[in-house]
Amino acid sequence: MDESPKKELAERRNTSSHLHRKEETPSWHLGAPVDIFFRSSPCRIVVVNAQELDHPIIYVNLIFEQVTGYRADEVLGRNCRFLQYQGSFAKTRYPLVDIRILTEICRCLSEGFDFEGERLNFRKGGSPLMNRLYIKPICNDEGIITHFLGVQSFKEANFDLSPLRGLVWKKSSGAIHTHILGDMYSQKSLFVHRDCSFKKCCPLYKVSDEVLVVNILARLTPRDVTSLGSVCHRFYNLTKDESLWKLVCQNIWGQETFSILESVARRRRLWWGKIVRELTTLEAAAWRKLTVGGSVEPSCINFSVCAVGSKVVLFGGEGVNMQPVNDTFVLDLNEDCPEWTHINVNSAPPGRWGHTLSGLSDSRLVVFGGCGRNGLLNDAFVLDLDEPQPTWHEVSCSTRPLPRSWHSSCILDGTKLIVSGGCTDSGALLSDTFLLDLTMEKPVWKEINVSWRPPSRLGHTLSVLGNHKILMYGGLATSGPLRLRSSDVYIMDLSEEETRWKYVTGSMLPGGVSTCNSAPPPRLDHAAVSLPGGRVVVFGGSIAGSRLETKVYILDPMEEKPTWRILYVQGRQPKYASGHSTCLVGGTRVVVLGGHHTEDWMLTELHELCLINLKGTD
Amino acid sequence: MAELPNTTMANECKVKLKSKDDKIFEVEYAVAMQSQTLKNALAHTGCTDTALPLHDISSQILAKVIEYCEYHVNAANTISEKDVKTWDEELVKHMDQDTLFRLIVAAKYLEIHNLVDLMCKTIADRIKDKSVEELREIFHVQNDFTPEEEEQVRRETKWAHGE
Repeated sequence: MDESPKKELAERRNTSSHLHRKEETPSWHLGAPVDIFFRSSPCRIVVVNAQELDHPIIYVNLIFEQVTGYRADEVLGRNCRFLQYQGSFAKTRYPLVDIRILTEICRCLSEGFDFEGERLNFRKGGSPLMNRLYIKPICNDEGIITHFLGVQSFKEANFDLSPLRGLVWKKSSGAIHTHILGDMYSQKSLFVHRDCSFKKCCPLYKVSDEVLVVNILARLTPRDVTSLGSVCHRFYNLTKDESLWKLVCQNIWGQETFSILESVARRRRLWWGKIVRELTTLEAAAWRKLTVGGSVEPSCINFSVCAVGSKVVLFGGEGVNMQPVNDTFVLDLNEDCPEWTHINVNSAPPGRWGHTLSGLSDSRLVVFGGCGRNGLLNDAFVLDLDEPQPTWHEVSCSTRPLPRSWHSSCILDGTKLIVSGGCTDSGALLSDTFLLDLTMEKPVWKEINVSWRPPSRLGHTLSVLGNHKILMYGGLATSGPLRLRSSDVYIMDLSEEETRWKYVTGSMLPGGVSTCNSAPPPRLDHAAVSLPGGRVVVFGGSIAGSRLETKVYILDPMEEKPTWRILYVQGRQPKYASGHSTCLVGGTRVVVLGGHHTEDWMLTELHELCLINLKGTD
Repeated sequence: MAELPNTTMANECKVKLKSKDDKIFEVEYAVAMQSQTLKNALAHTGCTDTALPLHDISSQILAKVIEYCEYHVNAANTISEKDVKTWDEELVKHMDQDTLFRLIVAAKYLEIHNLVDLMCKTIADRIKDKSVEELREIFHVQNDFTPEEEEQVRRETKWAHGE
């Protein structure tokens, strides 16, 4: 810049007229009120031209002149770095000026980020000042950065609190920054003057985005996050942050669910905002058909399956001539062409059907009970799929629950096996509940003593809610001299001192139907799946009149008055689904095996209920 | 980084803090150590008579920070977790938003993680279950959405409100 425009600018400011002559007005125009506004604020303002070489200063306000001692006409056209030189004759920057800050500033400027931090500056006379600096890029209508705006507050530098803290930088979002200076005076601005005392300034603006997202928003439910996002632009943009939704998921659904979802999200490149939304609303739930290779041979029925990571594991069953078998098969759904593989295991448990197979943490699974060659069983075996040569190990315990089949089981905390009910050798039904803690060196079966038990039953389901609650539903239950299908729901909280079964909903009498219209008809051998947030989804099984029905029902036990609702799922539902041949893979896909006809039991055609849209971003 | 002062010196050392409005506060060394920032600074300088200037923290806020740190330094071994929790709840119970946010900024600057957590949890609790209008009132924020934008946001967020 040559001499005359500089002098003219300085003069114009002193006579409190417009900031620029009309011809020099940049694409964002500052009106007269803005200049007054700047002059009345206690901040130093510097504007540099981002498109010219070495970013020359094109505007400084009065406060800048007063504090630094440099007049506007002395600094216009120069780069700001002279502020780091001690005294007007110095040629190099003062050694104590932190180079890291400068590197950071350079990086932010070249990448278009905001910068906020502190650095050491000097007055014209040579005395030091600590400069709290905030630099923001200004974009034109096309989103190209044309200028940088620096707001600074200077403090006496008596003592240097090192290391210089809080290098906070945020990604610039084009939509916010156009017209930013025009809006400032109208107080609708999102621009932050950290050291100005705006009386009407929202105190929330003093808090950095990072603290807001990580410490405050991450603790909220999706409902509250979206409410806050509806308040103003700044918060709206914060709620678009993927990492926020990741934290929200972790917070509301716990670490276990989060870890399971994380591997799916990473593999399929799903957006966390979408995951949270779809798992909350289940709006994307759809039935899909899946063809897989290999086969389970010899084919059998009444086997049990469970999910281990992305794999479906199948064990046991009733084979030819109704003889129990003890083969182990695995189907890895993460493969491009999944196919059933027979696993050669060491020391397989005795063959059985009507047993339970449940997935533990760390690629392990446990089988319990069932009907073997010589009667009912009450042994438990554990298999670790990650071992180079997988081996079934029997869990040796001195006292065991009564041998049984068609009982139900679930895993608490990834480590504790809970079994309940079932049918004994004599044909009597059971109503007990046992827990086996597999983390112990010598696991011991513990009966959970309760003052009152629901009617004894078989073919019911146990689902885990969160860390310490289990939900029992349905089954064929004792009702006086009869056995009738049940629609009752009971919950037990295992963290309570006096554990007890609480009745939630149903008919209170096996065989009865509850008054709610969309309640599922009573059933046994159905599939029950636990969703994040403590909701339960049930479908399939055997209902009265030998009908098969695969409408999907959902229940939220956390509601005040838990009520069953029908979940409308797109796609063609399978005609058949049974609890022991259904499992939840990767927290998002409910895989249903088998069918009614013999060929279905080759298990090459599967059905799956995808809870979320698994087609990720391209 | 310089060695931390030895224990006897640490016990006798009094740390001086200067607020934005030039008020001097004197605290025990152990209390100051609750702040990672001060810990680092004091590691550099050792025990000094010079007051450490805290440019952004007013005396009102600094007093509250010190109150928190002084209680928690003593509470560490002697008071039950439950009682500490109760004391914390009392501290924030009637605190106005302005103070809460200023305290967060101060605690973040001083790197007193427990205090940041406490303040943020309190704010999160105040945000819980509030309507959009109520949130605007609580935090003195102006609605800067156009009516069209507002409608779009409402449609986008319907799912979270059980609609």
